[in-house]
Amino acid sequence: MRDVLLELGARPAARRLVARLGLPLPLPVRLTRAGGPWEAQPLADQFIAVGAASPSPLGPTLARTIARAGASAVLSASASASAEAFREMGRAYGRTAGTVPVAGPSHGFRVDALVFDATELDGPSRLRAAYDFFHPLVSTLRPSGRVVVLGRPPAEATTTEQAAARGALDGFTRSLAKEIGRRGSTANLVQVAAGGDAHLEPVLRFLLSARSAFVSAQPLMVGTGLSGLPDPPLVRPLERKVALVTGAARGIGQAIAERLAQEGAHVICLDRPADDTAGGQVARALGGSFLPVDIGVDGAPAAIAAHLRERHGGVDIVVHNAGITRDKTLARMSEEQWDDTLGINLRAPLRIDQALLDEGLLRDEGRVVCLASVAGIAGNHGQTNYAASKAGIAAYVRRRAGELAPRGITVNAVAPGLIETRMSAAMPALVREAARRLSALGQGGLPSDVAEVVTFLSTPGAAGVSGAVLRVCGGALIGA
Amino acid sequence: MRTRARAPHGRRAVVVGGVRTPFVKAFAELMKVDTIALGAAAMRGLLERHPVPRRDIDAVVWSGVILPSIWPNIGREIALEIGLDPAIEAMTVTRACASSLQAVTTAAAMIERGEADVVIAGGSDSTSNAEVKLPQKLVHAAAPLMFGKRTAGDVLGALSQLMPLGQIVPRAPRVVERTTGKLMGEAAEDMARRNEISRAEQDHFALRSHQRAAAAIASGRLAREVVPVAAPRSGDDPAEPRWVHSDTLVRADTSLEKLARLKPAFARGGGDGTVTAGNSSPLTDGAAAVLLMSEEKASALGVVALARVAAWSYVGVDPADQLLIGPALAMPRVLDEAGRDLGDIDLVDMHEAFAAQVLSVLKALESGSFARERLGRARAVGAVDPARLNVRGGSLAFGHPFAATGARMVTTMAHELRESGKETALLGICAQGGLGAAALLENAAS
Repeated sequence: MRDVLLELGARPAARRLVARLGLPLPLPVRLTRAGGPWEAQPLADQFIAVGAASPSPLGPTLARTIARAGASAVLSASASASAEAFREMGRAYGRTAGTVPVAGPSHGFRVDALVFDATELDGPSRLRAAYDFFHPLVSTLRPSGRVVVLGRPPAEATTTEQAAARGALDGFTRSLAKEIGRRGSTANLVQVAAGGDAHLEPVLRFLLSARSAFVSAQPLMVGTGLSGLPDPPLVRPLERKVALVTGAARGIGQAIAERLAQEGAHVICLDRPADDTAGGQVARALGGSFLPVDIGVDGAPAAIAAHLRERHGGVDIVVHNAGITRDKTLARMSEEQWDDTLGINLRAPLRIDQALLDEGLLRDEGRVVCLASVAGIAGNHGQTNYAASKAGIAAYVRRRAGELAPRGITVNAVAPGLIETRMSAAMPALVREAARRLSALGQGGLPSDVAEVVTFLSTPGAAGVSGAVLRVCGGALIGA
Repeated sequence: MRTRARAPHGRRAVVVGGVRTPFVKAFAELMKVDTIALGAAAMRGLLERHPVPRRDIDAVVWSGVILPSIWPNIGREIALEIGLDPAIEAMTVTRACASSLQAVTTAAAMIERGEADVVIAGGSDSTSNAEVKLPQKLVHAAAPLMFGKRTAGDVLGALSQLMPLGQIVPRAPRVVERTTGKLMGEAAEDMARRNEISRAEQDHFALRSHQRAAAAIASGRLAREVVPVAAPRSGDDPAEPRWVHSDTLVRADTSLEKLARLKPAFARGGGDGTVTAGNSSPLTDGAAAVLLMSEEKASALGVVALARVAAWSYVGVDPADQLLIGPALAMPRVLDEAGRDLGDIDLVDMHEAFAAQVLSVLKALESGSFARERLGRARAVGAVDPARLNVRGGSLAFGHPFAATGARMVTTMAHELRESGKETALLGICAQGGLGAAALLENAAS
């Protein structure tokens, strides 16, 4: 769907004109995105400013992540306790760590990302370090820049002061996201739970990269995954994996199937038998297979299980993407509209997972990713059925995640906001325009933005992320 | 990536001799001598200096980087050119700046495997005779005129395709990475910046290369390695060639002051670069040849073996990262395979593409974090003692005919081991495409 403001914003002359005339037009910037498979050095030649609230044991992990991804760290004085680790890692990868000038950044000083390590907060007064770090540097962030704040879960705090300080980071990050979103930049909070340190690097690498272009203004918890796993691969992370994607014939599902295949997975593209032609084309193009099943019918879970057992002996990645909307205010909604929406969006994923688990087809270290929706979190007029199904999914993944953790299986949900697809093109123009401009990034996302997040959650490196509902909404959510 | 497994049957390859032509600045004295003629001079010289019954030669493994497109298997052409028995088979390998080390180790592998007992290996390159490529656009546009039945429309059509003319002017060859579009010198500039190698360090290293090369020449020890080349005089009687006897690029009289005056050659946006013509290896014409045998054959023939080819390894790194860092990965692999520490190594010989590149590799070898992160080793590989490094100078001084450098290094180190009675020499070479190469020579007498 055409976004006139986004196209206008891409022209420097138009931007200048709008500014000179003082028009109240929020011209969004075109987001920097990365296409194709993962690169070994997604942050090649970038500069990343690093600060810390207090000396932190995560210094070496941060240093390694940045240097290994191809970027050079620029340390603020607050991170000096980790200077040696940064110097060493910089040397290993030929990415010399520099320092932010003590007198403040000079004219022309620009960074691609700001990373603030607030994992060792003891109480509210230490929060001042966040102000001290970001205040002089936030204006040095390049367009499509990244802010990542590292914290710990408030629930794991040892004192009430510490819990409050940890919680404060959430509001700080969400607000900063809104301030920097107009320049295409994102801000996120990573809460590193006990045992999560070992699984931090892939999460940081993803959030700092162009792959997370539409993920903003939210906390993401990194917890204990299975220990003793080999170092996750940096490129082609899904080799030898079998992935099932429902609703893969078009839109977001197609984008997900393509990305999983690019990372080396064999993708089984599932869609309704009526979408045989489109689904078959997608499957052929990516070298996968097409499975025509209507997930709304009773025999669907058994048919899927039989296919996976006979053809592949099991499955590693299951993406529950298929979904429908039947919008009506509750008073006008028919029984079919209620039943169909809950049947496809909520009942079917649960039944399919149950069948796969009962038959032992979901392999150890498997990945389940469900498509939820921002509507399910925030609620939406005319979507009692849809929001119920998606909120149900959110609760489902939290519960399942705990059950399957001992087997190293992660279960997560991805909640898209406004994504430019056939579905959003059918929205009333005014509603769509409002939805675009209300997000921090001032624009809708692309199917590929969702696909990137689903792909990340499907990789071995995402072992520390489970039970999460990750929004891909460009910071659209108000409140919550 | 992997180092090769040890030969199961215990056959070992030894270097029994090696020579090279003088290394001469491109487009100078040897401009009229193409790569086949250069190779012929080296191969002929090898067999004169190290006589071996011709019927005992089993194979030729030659190498080249700038290969003539109609006769890319120059090894065969050179062998026929100097009148070797046509029954001696020949091949030509190419691996950018590591090409002739590849030729030597391929020959060693053939010997270890029992395919051959006597192999001539080496390489030649004439930068002066690089084919200046006609742009594909010109070739395609002109093809209907040249190979078809032309009409007036064809002529007009071809002309219109060739506008603007700027696109069809043949371009001089440049050492540029295909995947990144970066000049090799720009990659060296990046490495200098990223590994914090100063201009002064680079110039100092370059100065030492020239001083050591000049001392080696002055001592006469290089004379047995260098064979003359006949260069035709243009216009004169081809029967009366001009003989080129010695290297032309080594500057005994250079100084830090002179090197410091040179302008950066590759800095983008001008100004703050550190890589200059003085601390980079120049474009060069030359060839080098090495004679290898199985140990058994050498003793049967009563030939003195100089050095054993004990181990080798080739690696690849991302060209978009540190293009020329490969030796920092390949050299430790060779040490591991041979079961030796860097401290046990008597001589280290590294190809000097750029001073910045050698110094970057040395810095990586000294780094504990590089060892842990990139090599999976608990401790740093170690510091290379400057007294053991490139003791007879290197490519910065002698120049760098791409496919002759590896064989030059093998030749010099094999002789050095024999003469000094030292035990081991470790070779390291970086190459275009993000390749790295390393090999270990052991004194054959011990």
